[in-house]
Amino acid sequence: MDDMMFLTFLATLAGAAWRLATPLIFASIGEIFSERAGVLNIGLEGTMLVGAFCGFAAAFATGSIPLGLLAGIAGGMLFGAIFAFFTITIKADQIVVGAALNLLGMGLTAFLFRTYYVSTGKGIEIAQPVQIPFLSDIPFLGEAFFRQNLIVYSTVLVAILASLVLFRTSFGLTLRAVGEHPKAVDVAGRDVASYRYAAVLVGTGLAGLGGAFLTLGHSNQFVEGITSGRGFIALAVVVFARWSPIGAFFVSLLFGLFYALQLMLQAQASIVVPYQVLQALPYIMTIVTLVVVRGKGAAPSKLGQPYEMR
Amino acid sequence: MEQVNQGVRENVYPQAAQAFGRTLRQAVINAATPAAAVLVALACGAALLWLNGFDGSDVVTVMIFGSFQDMRSVGEILLKATPLILIGAGLCVAFRCSIWNIGAEGQLYAGAIAATLVGTNFDGLSVWVHAPLVMLAGALAGAAWAGIAGYLKVRFQASEIVTTIMLNYIALILTSYLVTGPMRDASAAYPQSARLIREAWTPRIVSDMRLHIGIIVAVVLAVALYIFLQRSSRGFSLRVVGLNPYAARYAGMQVARNVMIAMCISGAMAGLAGAFEVAGVTHRLYQNISPGYGFEGIAVALLAGNNPLAAIVSGGLFATLRSGSEVLQITSQVPQVLVLIIQGIVILSVVAFTRLRDIRRIVA
Amino acid sequence: MRLSRRTFVEGVAALTIAVSIPAMAQAEDFKMGLLVPGSVSEEGWNRIGFNALKGVEEQLGAKISYVELQQNPASFEKAFRDYASQGYKVILGHGFEFQDAALEVALDYPDTYFLISSSSIHEGNVIGLNTDTSQPFYLMGVIAAKMGKKAGLVGGMEIPPIQQAFVGFKNGAKSVNPAFPISEAYIGNFTDTTAAKEAALSMISQGADFVVPNASGATVGGYQAISESGPAVRSFSIFSDFTQVAPNNILGLYVADYAQGVVEVVHSIKDGSPPKENIIFGLKDPKVISFTFRDDGPVSVPEDIRAEVKAISAKIAAGEIKTDAQ
Repeated sequence: MDDMMFLTFLATLAGAAWRLATPLIFASIGEIFSERAGVLNIGLEGTMLVGAFCGFAAAFATGSIPLGLLAGIAGGMLFGAIFAFFTITIKADQIVVGAALNLLGMGLTAFLFRTYYVSTGKGIEIAQPVQIPFLSDIPFLGEAFFRQNLIVYSTVLVAILASLVLFRTSFGLTLRAVGEHPKAVDVAGRDVASYRYAAVLVGTGLAGLGGAFLTLGHSNQFVEGITSGRGFIALAVVVFARWSPIGAFFVSLLFGLFYALQLMLQAQASIVVPYQVLQALPYIMTIVTLVVVRGKGAAPSKLGQPYEMR
Repeated sequence: MEQVNQGVRENVYPQAAQAFGRTLRQAVINAATPAAAVLVALACGAALLWLNGFDGSDVVTVMIFGSFQDMRSVGEILLKATPLILIGAGLCVAFRCSIWNIGAEGQLYAGAIAATLVGTNFDGLSVWVHAPLVMLAGALAGAAWAGIAGYLKVRFQASEIVTTIMLNYIALILTSYLVTGPMRDASAAYPQSARLIREAWTPRIVSDMRLHIGIIVAVVLAVALYIFLQRSSRGFSLRVVGLNPYAARYAGMQVARNVMIAMCISGAMAGLAGAFEVAGVTHRLYQNISPGYGFEGIAVALLAGNNPLAAIVSGGLFATLRSGSEVLQITSQVPQVLVLIIQGIVILSVVAFTRLRDIRRIVA
Repeated sequence: MRLSRRTFVEGVAALTIAVSIPAMAQAEDFKMGLLVPGSVSEEGWNRIGFNALKGVEEQLGAKISYVELQQNPASFEKAFRDYASQGYKVILGHGFEFQDAALEVALDYPDTYFLISSSSIHEGNVIGLNTDTSQPFYLMGVIAAKMGKKAGLVGGMEIPPIQQAFVGFKNGAKSVNPAFPISEAYIGNFTDTTAAKEAALSMISQGADFVVPNASGATVGGYQAISESGPAVRSFSIFSDFTQVAPNNILGLYVADYAQGVVEVVHSIKDGSPPKENIIFGLKDPKVISFTFRDDGPVSVPEDIRAEVKAISAKIAAGEIKTDAQ
């Protein structure tokens, strides 16, 4: 490959990485809220599917992308409310409920899609890229970073906002305390359950948004199982990123990068590595990272445990 | 409550009969919750169908009884139940120890790969050697695959939820690589391994039915795991670790070893399930040999309340629902994904009922 | 088509009688069943099978039923037996993966015909039906090499129908220009539209100006990428009509009316003269494989190339060109 080709390759790679990272960024930051408050939601895959489906259905009916995105968020939160009711109010095991919601999300979206939306043909008009003036004209960099759609740009905002809320507001402080020392929060007169509800709803709303991006910001159609395991990857991103929203942004980018690289290297006839090796790389990398950055360190100490008032 | 009854009846029944009665009564109580949950889920399924313009009235009957047409269809249900019982019973052990092994799917594939390797080689062995060897290979590979996650947890405190999910993907990708690459049957157009040598096939129970002895193995192992958990000291210490690892460590139990054991047992069961799928059903390795048995097994264990004995029933039930959903699609063209919805609601209802029962018990 | 439970129960009862008195089975409805490996809701492979079934229902008045088996090899044999034991005369296993199971079951049901898509088998009552996708893809390759600089092919999983198509494309392109560059990538599944889109986008950014996605449900993502990349990128619509997704890029359509082919085969079975050998649909069967050019789009294939393609197509139909030679 000559230099120009290589630069084009890198620019395309970076752009694709960011787009592929976008659903992961939303879902993993959402999960960070939830886990920071001590609630482990492994039902992300199902939640994202619900978001993707609701987003598609709303945009298909109204033709409006913003309404679709709102519907995606709302769908995610509605699903999150079920999760919160079972895990917080009646204190059922979080893993069990999460597993059930994954089944439910997969089943319901596929069932409804088949019943109502088969043969929607053209699908919907997806969010168009917005070229940022001047910056989008920078050679290579412009292509990669300044010709994306608004949903992709918003990931930067979401990461910064989430970080501010978690670490610079009293809401965030209390939310983290709920995950570390719920008893202290309780004694201080704040309701542990409502903070956990809030955290779960924020989390599942973002997961719904991540799902909706797939149908509204990337492909123009809903396909059964369109999330293709991204909800599970997002869980890994959270641990990998040590429960930090900014960290989740970059770890998601790394995953996106590998995914894009895998697709692009396959297309290079000169490279003979089996593509499955490249496909497996992000997963192997996650395990290696867990080992390298070892120790519980940042994990909320009450993660996964219901809070019993005494 | 139990002890009061025990006191009253002490003089009436001989010891053994009394114990049996207690077990039976407990079993009825334990079965009431899942049974109610299944009914609730089927009712929800019927409502969903009705709301969406299908004739929902026959869901319950078809989903449960529709697949019992003759001996052969019962055999087919048991064939589907085999991997679910194996995986479900194995996961009961892990979950009892509070090890969240989400990786049964990957362990199943690991077992299937190993079984294929052994089953396509070593020509000339007798069926008495080759078939068990294949099962053993599957179980060992599954245990080893799960052991990776166990070791990472014990040694590096790496969350087993994350590592097992990652190992799922890696096993699936590895299988895809093997059947499109080194293990591919060159003569076949479809990516698949060579056919297993006939002596390596899991023997059938009746020659003209596909049901193989795997179902017997599954039930025997589920009972064995139950006894192991309830009656052995190792099983006791596993359960203590699950309830409270700090207390277990304080009591001098080896938490790390228990974690490894729980992980490897559940992995071995999943690996065995993979071996049976290859050696008993398809006789070849494919990219998609499991339709998600590893994930369904999680639901089976949860429905069974992490009791391996109950996993026999819940595994059978899930297999029945799956067959029923196929029948429902054939007769009424209801999308088969309905079964996922019903399974999801079954789990939610079980946890809801169990929690409500616990809360009522506390209040009372 | 939707049966109530009562008719189902009656059906089972009737069957029991029918089995005991074989002569009565003759009077029964002509029934056809279908096994598909995935969801018929996707614009892709499974839908093609479903359309074939609907075709038989509409044109031959058969009673039909289908079942989706989620790529679960353990269920194949049971599904065949379920249909065969219920008196279905024809069962279409839509995919090569059904072949082993059909061979097994066919021995027990000699009066039932088992049709297997993408297979070239002919053993007793098991008959392979294969659409040679390498033929239309060969034509696309010719057009790509004549009109473009570089081609890109996005596949779902590495399975024969897709590999065969891509081999045809490469052979076609090489027949025009042996050095014509073609890149190829598999996304590893049939659901991830996002991956299909990104794979196509990356090929386009690296100079591909003729891109064809072939990934069942995820295919639409590929066309989305082509559409977004402007009219300089050309494509062909395969299997279904995707011109609405990429109206400025699609030069023409390869639509397989597999249904028509299946209807004819089933018709011959119904009339008591089943096929004597396995069936291969190709460009020689214009009713089944239609390869057409678009005239309503902003881009179209020039007349001279059309004429050439037509000539090549005739040669392929006559068996003078081997399109799937490795």
